[in-house]
Amino acid sequence: MSLSAPADATAARTVTAVAGRARGRRESSAYALRAASAIAALLLWYGVTALGLVSADFLPGPAAVLHTFLDILHNGYRGTTLGQDSLATLGRCLGGFAGAVLTGVPLGLCMGLDRRVAAAGNYIVQFMRPLPPLSYLILLILWLGTGNASKVALLYLTAFPIVTSAAMAGVRTVPRQRIQAALSLGARPPQILAYVVLPSALPMIFTGLRIALAAAFSTVVAAELMAASDGLGWMVFSASQFLRTDVIVLGIIVLGLLGMALNWMLVALDAAVVHWRGVE
Amino acid sequence: MRTRLPPVIWAAASICALLAVWIGLTWNGSHGPVVQDLFLPGPGELWSGFLDLASSGYKGRPLLVHIGFSLERVLAGFGTGAVVGTVLGLAMGYAPRLDALASPFVEFLRPLPQLAYLVLLIVWFGIGEESKIILLFLAALPVSAVAARAGVRDVSAGRVQVARALGASEWQVFRHVVFPSALSEIFTGARLAIGIVYGTLIAAEIIAGSTGLGWMILDAGRFLRSDYVFVGIVIIGLLGILLDRSLVGIERRVVHWAGK
Repeated sequence: MSLSAPADATAARTVTAVAGRARGRRESSAYALRAASAIAALLLWYGVTALGLVSADFLPGPAAVLHTFLDILHNGYRGTTLGQDSLATLGRCLGGFAGAVLTGVPLGLCMGLDRRVAAAGNYIVQFMRPLPPLSYLILLILWLGTGNASKVALLYLTAFPIVTSAAMAGVRTVPRQRIQAALSLGARPPQILAYVVLPSALPMIFTGLRIALAAAFSTVVAAELMAASDGLGWMVFSASQFLRTDVIVLGIIVLGLLGMALNWMLVALDAAVVHWRGVE
Repeated sequence: MRTRLPPVIWAAASICALLAVWIGLTWNGSHGPVVQDLFLPGPGELWSGFLDLASSGYKGRPLLVHIGFSLERVLAGFGTGAVVGTVLGLAMGYAPRLDALASPFVEFLRPLPQLAYLVLLIVWFGIGEESKIILLFLAALPVSAVAARAGVRDVSAGRVQVARALGASEWQVFRHVVFPSALSEIFTGARLAIGIVYGTLIAAEIIAGSTGLGWMILDAGRFLRSDYVFVGIVIIGLLGILLDRSLVGIERRVVHWAGK
């Protein structure tokens, strides 16, 4: 046994290395396929529009969209540049989201720790969570006007119940024995919160943050379609009224990329902060 | 030891406090209500608004017809999107090549705000039902696909190997091992998808509709009938909960082995 152990270990290492190389090859071929698929879609788009199979009013070609991109980047669309519109959208989205994180996470933690707080607050959170945000935008506009306040409040209310439920659910996943073990070792409540509850709850909180940010990003665009004078949602909506399909397609591409970037940002933050995710 | 009140008491106390604040703000005393009923209708006005809507409908159509319009769109868009998305996701989980080919589109579509492409769909298909159903189809598809793919990937390799070693054919492995294991993930995706579809539909009806619950509250808001807006929001909320609960009910019946 003891003699064969090192040999086993070497064999295991070789096997892992071979498997690793195979996986590496598979992954790089997967990236190549992804790139090929994206390029094929671009070529199809180019082909269909260049051959005139669809009218440019319905689908402008890639060249036209690129031209529009450069034009709006420098000269703007009806007074605001692409950068300003993107910033307006992101600012609203992140403003409401940040407010929800700062209030929702502590409330959710309290709800998870204390059944009384949970009983008092949970039914409100659980009613709001499935409620489509746009339905109460009308009320918010009535209360706060059509300016930025109603939009930021809308995004706050969109993200808040998601973040709060995630924090509450996260606390409830903490194994009881772990808290008891810490207690019996003489930990005080603040220490338990900081060293036991929070680390166990963080993975779920981060999952909630990703869902909440995605929901806020979808909602901000819908809100801008309805009532705004800047932002990417407004740009797309305004373009549709003038049948500027090139601006619409550009807006969709920019929004898709921004949505992916926001998600990646949180995934990276998650990987950096919650490095123990999935380890236990 | 202190006697501890059961949580139900706290929930009841919290509901009572909320009701008291609401009634306090909207009470029509000698100085009139603190908050104009235009901004916040009181419980009485809300109830009469509801009875009004229930008996005479809104703008020529009964309330149930508006609910029906919204429900029909949700079910049509969700039904098609979830089925196609799930089939695509299962295939993506099975075949890494297909996964690599399809995932750029799925990953682009998933975080894309749905309302952004509604505008393009309206240019392409007009403002009628078609563009709305396609919108909801596209909203449900990527969520379902990602969930089904994750479901297939999470199937324990050991179980598949055991089935193969026992001589199961590829189809039998799928039918009796992979699919049942993936089902619970598929249902999680379906619940996520129906929430997104429902939210998107209400937004779409608000922005480009002439029927349905979303349009009803937008139109009522324009005429400052905030009692109708409130009733509409409550109905939209309850319908959303109902949709989610019915999926949970189906899941419990179908995936009765979940968590075992």
